[in-house]
Amino acid sequence: MEGAPRYGGVVSLQSIEDEAGRRVWPDESRATRADLAHNVIDFVRLLRENGLQASPAEVHDVVRALRVIDLGDRHEFYLTLRSILLWSPDQRPLFDELFERFWGGWADEETVIREERSPTMSSAQSERVESQSSDASYSAMEALMEKDFSDFRPDEMGAVARVCVAIAKRVATRRSRRYRMTNRGTKVDPRRTIRRNVKYGGTVIELAKLERKIRKPRIVVICDVSRSMEQYSVFLLEFMYSMQNVIGRIESFVFSTGLHRVTGYFKHTDIETALEDIAKEIPDWSGGTRIGESLRTFNDQYARRIVDQRTVVIILSDGLDTGQTDLLEEEMARLHGRAVRLIWLNPLLGKDHYQPVARGMAAALPHVDVFAAAHNLASLQQLANSLTTPRGPRAAPRSLAG
Amino acid sequence: MIEGVRRVQELMERENYVTDRAIATTVFLAMEIRKPVLIEGPAGVGKTEVAKVLSDALATRLIRLQCYEGLDVNTALYEWNFPKQMLRMRIEESGGLSTDEKERLIFSESFLFKRPLLQAITEPEQAPVLLIDEIDRADEEFEAFLLEVLSDFQVTIPELGTIQAAHRPYVALTSNRTRELSDALKRRCLYLWIDYPSFEKEAAIIRNKVPGVNAALAQQVAAFMQTARHLKLSKVPGVAETLDWAVSLMALHQDHLEPEVVSETLGCIFKDRDDIVRYAGPRVEAIVSAITELEPDALATSQERILARAEA
Repeated sequence: MEGAPRYGGVVSLQSIEDEAGRRVWPDESRATRADLAHNVIDFVRLLRENGLQASPAEVHDVVRALRVIDLGDRHEFYLTLRSILLWSPDQRPLFDELFERFWGGWADEETVIREERSPTMSSAQSERVESQSSDASYSAMEALMEKDFSDFRPDEMGAVARVCVAIAKRVATRRSRRYRMTNRGTKVDPRRTIRRNVKYGGTVIELAKLERKIRKPRIVVICDVSRSMEQYSVFLLEFMYSMQNVIGRIESFVFSTGLHRVTGYFKHTDIETALEDIAKEIPDWSGGTRIGESLRTFNDQYARRIVDQRTVVIILSDGLDTGQTDLLEEEMARLHGRAVRLIWLNPLLGKDHYQPVARGMAAALPHVDVFAAAHNLASLQQLANSLTTPRGPRAAPRSLAG
Repeated sequence: MIEGVRRVQELMERENYVTDRAIATTVFLAMEIRKPVLIEGPAGVGKTEVAKVLSDALATRLIRLQCYEGLDVNTALYEWNFPKQMLRMRIEESGGLSTDEKERLIFSESFLFKRPLLQAITEPEQAPVLLIDEIDRADEEFEAFLLEVLSDFQVTIPELGTIQAAHRPYVALTSNRTRELSDALKRRCLYLWIDYPSFEKEAAIIRNKVPGVNAALAQQVAAFMQTARHLKLSKVPGVAETLDWAVSLMALHQDHLEPEVVSETLGCIFKDRDDIVRYAGPRVEAIVSAITELEPDALATSQERILARAEA
């Protein structure tokens, strides 16, 4: 940083705008601390507009930090802002870009390296841009909706929701390792016992107890919306929608040739709006099926953060895969190692003559804890029952892949 | 103040911690504006080490709270010493104390086991460094509780009242990102992401931490590790593995990488059976010969070439 202008202990620094509207550093100090703070506020606003979580509350910290750092050292200034305003490595490329845009002329030391390793949002974005150029088939979605809603009478949809709620509640009753106070539990709570028995002079007469809390698991649902699943996918999305509204902590994804996160769409009040929005956003709806690739995207980009040892992963698919089978098997193994339970719901399983011999399905099966049908209400009811029986030991040794 | 960040960097280097500007800046800010630091990154890149070095540099005590699933307030904050309370009640049986007085007696500070968080808050001499390790393994309830402690550095014990921190501790939290932490907690902290080290940094770490290692071996080991992290592994080795391996090679009197020796010692760096089966033998040996054929100066810039040999 030799030769960089130094402003000594005087915090007086202002960025001014050049012809292109970008802020640049002045050659000498011209403004007061208030101006710098003002610029920081603007910068935080820019971050927020672009989806980063920094808030005005952090401005105060930044201003405090700027008092103690070497303002003549641009890299130090950058690192300071980054360490206060950026909370995730995934958003680092975006942050760097915005920093560059706002503060100007900033490609510095190590800001550019490691792109390759860190999961960037730009890959997801470029994928989206690419897929938008392919044929967006909104009409296919409309046709799909008609078909399925005609299959189910309106009163049956209500039943679907009710069964889904029941399933969600069954799934939601896992015992936690935490305890809560009670008088009928199995474990003695020494602290409350002592207090309660002071009046007996230290002779324990009444016991206070603890019991395990019930803890809600996380649920991740990954639904196949490819062409072969057309007649089921709306129905299954309804299922996902109900689950999300009952359990709350549920992440939803759909895939066809690529994977899309749809959790946000299900926060709408009604399912129809959600479905419309999803269909608009996802151009490869009713396209081919690449389960392996989609799961790889899931494992690489999401699994680390949202799947852990209390997460139940539910895959809704017929397993008719057009991608590579060994990739599917590998990714299933990774996912299985990470989740507490992996459930595969297959609508074809309801058909009497069905055998899971489709290449994809056969490859995935060894890594599935529960393999069940999902073609009608009875099958979902059965699923609810199977979820209440305790899980046996795992067949395969578990490796924490990923 | 101008030399602040550089001073921190020097202090850390004096403690044998190979650092960079990003780490030094965040640590400096943590000391100056007294915000907790949240350190995230893959396993084995020296996240915990930052807190240790900080406490050494400040010549203050390091108090560590290791998080795990089911960690609750009792284990983290305080517990009553029940046997002692029981005995005391027996002793007081014939004494003239009323029930209220007895209760006040046995729920006083001398019947308290202080757990890490309370220790950190009540440390009498000077502000300690509080390391909350692997916070992602604790559950959300605990995170919420921690947030409360970190915002006002006071705790309330129902039987005793509120205890305010004598000296506000320096706080470092580490996370392996097995789950996403709450925004509220992140907002409370400075954020530091530590990635796997670069080739130069890793070679410097080896030279610093492995006594008697020669520069050539350090570079070759670093080059191998850089390549290894690009392989398809179920468990990517961290710096801890690098150091274990370098020490083992030293014990075997190696002054450069030998293909067979690397295959035999692969267990030091690959901690998954499938990884070892997949790479031991020809594939690892291809990497080693690619590395040993290169001039030492070329190692830093030849990652892709080395990797291509491994894939071939």
